[in-house]
Amino acid sequence: MSYDMKIDLGVEIPEVLQSGPVTAELLGEKVRLSLRVKSADRTVVAKALGLTLPAKIGVASTKADLMTACLGPDEWIVIGETDKHAGLYEKAHKLSTKYVMSVTDVSYRNIGVVLTGQAAAEMVNVGCPLDLCLEAFPVGKCTRTVYEASPILLHRTGEDSFVMECWRSFAPYMIGLMAAHARGGFRSN
Amino acid sequence: MFLIHCPYCDEKRPETEFAHAGEAHIVRPNAAEQSEMTDAQWSEFMFIRDNKRGDSCERWWHVNGCNMFFNAVRNTVTDKFVKTYKMGAKRPSNAQIQKWKEGV
Amino acid sequence: MGEFRRAGRGLINKDNPVHFSFDCKTYQGYEGDTIASALLANGVHLMGRSFKYHRPRGPVGSGFEEPNALVTVTRGKGRMTSNLRATTMEIYSGMEASSQNRWPSLGFDAGAFNNTFSMFFPAGFYNKTFMWPKSFWDKVYEPFIRNMAGLGPAPTEVDADVYGSVYGHCDVLIVGSGPAGLAAAIAAAKKDQSVILVDENAELGGSLNSSPSVVIDGKPASEWRHKTLKALSKASNVTLMARTTAVGYYHDDFVGLSERLTDHLPILEGNQIREKLHRIRAGKVILAQGAIERPLVFDGNDKPGVMLASAAQDYLNVYGVAVGKEAVVFTSHDSAYTAAFELADANIRIAAIVDARIYIPTSLITMASDRGIDVHVGKVLSGTSGKKRVSSAEIYDPTSGAKETIKCDSVLMCGGWTPSLHLWSHSKGSIKWDAETGVYLPDVANENCVSIGASNGDFGFKAALDAGSKIGGGRKTYTVEEPIFGTGEVFSSLPSYKKSSKQKAFVDFQNDVTEKDIKLAVREGFRSIEHVKRYTTNGMATDQGKTSNLNALEIASKALGKEAPQVGLTTFRPPYTPTTFGAFCGYKMDDLFEVTRKTPIDAWAEQQRAVFEPVGVWRRAWYFPKAGEDMHTAVARECKATRDSLGMFDASTLGKIEVVGPDAAKFMNKMYTNPWGSLKVGAARYGLMCREDGYIYDDGVVGRIAEDRFHVTTTTGGAPRVYRHMEDYLQTEFPELDVWLTSTTEHWAVIALNGPNARKLIEPFVEGIDLSPEAFPHMNVREGKIFGLPTRLFRVSFSGELGFEVNVPAQYGKAVWEALYEAGQQYDITPYGTETMHVLRAEKGFIIVGQDTDGTVTPQDAGMSWIVSKKKKDFVGKRSLARPDLTADGRKHLIGLLTEDSNVVLEEGAHIVADPNQPIPMDMLGHVTSSYWSESLGTSVAMALVKDGFKRMDETLYIPMGGGIVHKAKVVKPVFYDPKGERLNVV
Repeated sequence: MSYDMKIDLGVEIPEVLQSGPVTAELLGEKVRLSLRVKSADRTVVAKALGLTLPAKIGVASTKADLMTACLGPDEWIVIGETDKHAGLYEKAHKLSTKYVMSVTDVSYRNIGVVLTGQAAAEMVNVGCPLDLCLEAFPVGKCTRTVYEASPILLHRTGEDSFVMECWRSFAPYMIGLMAAHARGGFRSN
Repeated sequence: MFLIHCPYCDEKRPETEFAHAGEAHIVRPNAAEQSEMTDAQWSEFMFIRDNKRGDSCERWWHVNGCNMFFNAVRNTVTDKFVKTYKMGAKRPSNAQIQKWKEGV
Repeated sequence: MGEFRRAGRGLINKDNPVHFSFDCKTYQGYEGDTIASALLANGVHLMGRSFKYHRPRGPVGSGFEEPNALVTVTRGKGRMTSNLRATTMEIYSGMEASSQNRWPSLGFDAGAFNNTFSMFFPAGFYNKTFMWPKSFWDKVYEPFIRNMAGLGPAPTEVDADVYGSVYGHCDVLIVGSGPAGLAAAIAAAKKDQSVILVDENAELGGSLNSSPSVVIDGKPASEWRHKTLKALSKASNVTLMARTTAVGYYHDDFVGLSERLTDHLPILEGNQIREKLHRIRAGKVILAQGAIERPLVFDGNDKPGVMLASAAQDYLNVYGVAVGKEAVVFTSHDSAYTAAFELADANIRIAAIVDARIYIPTSLITMASDRGIDVHVGKVLSGTSGKKRVSSAEIYDPTSGAKETIKCDSVLMCGGWTPSLHLWSHSKGSIKWDAETGVYLPDVANENCVSIGASNGDFGFKAALDAGSKIGGGRKTYTVEEPIFGTGEVFSSLPSYKKSSKQKAFVDFQNDVTEKDIKLAVREGFRSIEHVKRYTTNGMATDQGKTSNLNALEIASKALGKEAPQVGLTTFRPPYTPTTFGAFCGYKMDDLFEVTRKTPIDAWAEQQRAVFEPVGVWRRAWYFPKAGEDMHTAVARECKATRDSLGMFDASTLGKIEVVGPDAAKFMNKMYTNPWGSLKVGAARYGLMCREDGYIYDDGVVGRIAEDRFHVTTTTGGAPRVYRHMEDYLQTEFPELDVWLTSTTEHWAVIALNGPNARKLIEPFVEGIDLSPEAFPHMNVREGKIFGLPTRLFRVSFSGELGFEVNVPAQYGKAVWEALYEAGQQYDITPYGTETMHVLRAEKGFIIVGQDTDGTVTPQDAGMSWIVSKKKKDFVGKRSLARPDLTADGRKHLIGLLTEDSNVVLEEGAHIVADPNQPIPMDMLGHVTSSYWSESLGTSVAMALVKDGFKRMDETLYIPMGGGIVHKAKVVKPVFYDPKGERLNVV
């Protein structure tokens, strides 16, 4: 017997979010690692993994296709292409015998949505109370926050582009709010 | 909705990212201390809280942010946050709280 | 154009006539009219009936302060809104509006007998009257009150509209677009600030729209307004929002703005948002809300045709409508003279100006006489006549006692001005009493907020404009020509020759509260305005006392012989004006009302027509009925199939926390009652968690994946609180431990396979794990692959059967489930839901935290002393478990119950007694926590928390169900099925 194991994100982008002043797109399969490192070991671990681990909370670094963001005093999220970085978990896992750190695979925990377009920030503000002007939330900022009742990870990838990730079961709610806003119409000016 | 300064993020963030976590500076006795405590002393630790009117030290959790617990002085009459500070810092004296209020 | 329209005035579009209906009669108005202005233009003043006495009422005001003219607007199915102010509802072609609180018609109202018998309806009437006998409460009084009271009807259909909400930020939020607001906006915009300017009205401009004689910087006010708005709308850093009400001011300059988008449109398109709530965080808030004119309290001041002088001015200047042909102006403030003159200049005869004051600026008297208007100095109105419209007013001279009746069709009153403190008070800014003008004014701000112009007590255009400019960051001083706003005198009580009991002098029009009611409340002992308010209901209607609060305060303080500040001021609370529930819900309606978490396998269950149940915020498959099956038969079949062969269950909702780090075992030892150091890598153990108070908090199976890595599972509903509990202790009590927690609940999909054929099913698909019983015994965990996908495979059982829990990456959960289901057909694999899971575990006596425990059950109470380590020096809850109360006799213990009649399935929650014949109230021993029909055993089984239960083994207890039914049950150990656990090891 052969079985075709297909990935199933369990959610789709509705048509109303596929065109207009902001469009949404689902992120496909990704490697996502939650990395925890004692601050003393941050630079050595980063070097050993070939990663940038920003020291400041809320700062993301994107190198090639790999994004690392500092989410807490000793916490980083690493997100990258599955086929290119499949070995990253093992590499980090091995390091954990040497340094005070931990790595946990959370690749499948999240659903990511890429928002692009001049109304991208407005779309984020439908559920997220953060001030998204560029001074307060510059390109490259990445933080956990909320989208109404859903906890999210918010990453600004450009002036008019964001990546929003939430836990898998919250995705229909998060995308549902976006669709409701798109259907209702965007701010006139 | 409050804006709360998270001492770890060093930013003011909206209240919906946070959870209140009760009175601050109540230290859990270690194993040796626990075994020496009378039932009355243990009850005091477990169940008795100040519920202060005025400047009060309380714990908050930036659950939808940096995930850190921290402490805050907040006035329970005016609802205003006086100051937030990292976990592990000592309970501020009344004089210190006064200075913070005066912006010193 | 009708006889009440005045050409060349107003902001309405006379090129666009609009037809609408009011109480089924069609009227014509113009684009830009409100229901009130259009009806007044047609000579209609009677627009509603009052709340208590059903008295005929017309509009008192011209805007959002309106207490009287409330209407219901209906526009198709699910689109009926009641209690809308006719003074703010813009008409559109085809609008259907109707009056309220009248039966059978507005003109003739049966409930008006309340008015005739109003001496029987004093303050506190409801409290005093509807008391005894008790049997009348729901049979007589409540229906009576419900019939007679209330305003518009409540909708009976689901709201057909959609609503929205969005967060926003700005440097400066300005509330109110009158002269102060506009000047502030211009100044702030020039400073490069991001500005949001909101106004509740359809037209921005506030009082600029109603001031034909004002000249600003050499231009008529209307022109200056036009120019300013044009400049502001061009500025990229300014957002102008009309039809937008700032409904509430919350902490840290967070203001809710409700924007009405469709209520004025003739045609609604699908999905058009009706109202949008903008949740704005402002750097600074400028309140330029203006002031509301105060009515005068005199007998008959509620007749249709009696209104505020400024309202008549607004109708004329904003809508080009004359409110009548002959008006009497009754005032105690200079400002009403301007209104009188403007009306006179528009050919409305001013029959008299009656001024309660003795000292009046001579210039005003001269200006009046220039227009041929009589000014009655030091006199008052002591009554009005007319039924559905005022027809005359009685002028009374308190000095001479002389009376004079004067014919009129409108009375315009002005008792001074009340600065709008609403948002200021929401923000908890303090207020101060200004004795001279008899008003409260903003004092010390509590937020980054400032009140300017009339809302700060600074009346007049120049004062407002200059304050706006200054607060907005500018330095401009304006050159303004304007009529004198002047001053006034506050009369807490007007003289009259009539007995107080014979007068109907209304203070709160909407709730029908009279001067007499407030005095009565004081006589009956109410001392604080907050109590007077609740007793008389003054200020408690939908208008929140915008026109009545200060009059009530003046009357109450005078009656008490105290200064107003000693009596207080009732607190303003959000919302500023009635706001739809839709606006507060925003997009969070229907499917988005709350989060419904679904597992990766949920879609499959839905396809199979599973019945679902909510578990916390998850929805889980409850059971999988086949055609013709009810829940009982479906569950019986699912149970039997699982025990006989193989069942599959979606356990993905189980909370999962990865505990990783060199001190992981130490941390586990602190958090759970049992020991973890000895657990070998690859082994799993059931863990029990207590709170510090010693009560059971959660449980679950924990697998040790590596020396430094535990895969912790929690209950479905408990996952968030367990994570918080752990994170809290780790960060604040055990920060020295090097260990980290990560929620992996949604990383994995979990498929539980239970039954003698479980191993056979997975064997062909598993790689890298030796599944033989010797290599992989019960309570173990292995990492390997299934269908080529990474898996954490647990050998664990919550059913008592041979069991495996297959953890696979969530995004492949459905595919793996479907593959196993297909492969399992040879074993008649049976998907089952939470109900069967509950039955199977109850047959084994496994507890469900939160069902068999309730936050007051210790491990000992649950019969689980075996899991509480005696050796560990410390774990959370240890010290509390030694408290005498937790070890004393008389605690409730978790035991099993077998009913005498094995077909009886006890009701969960039913109380248990030792003697069913004892008198009521019975001495209750405890209650049934879990109860099911066990198909496998052919009997019902139950678990219960019973006082001293462990000492009652084999005792017979009783479960009285009422109606003479008493069930009998024997206390047993709560393990009903396979007590030796042999079925776990079926090969």
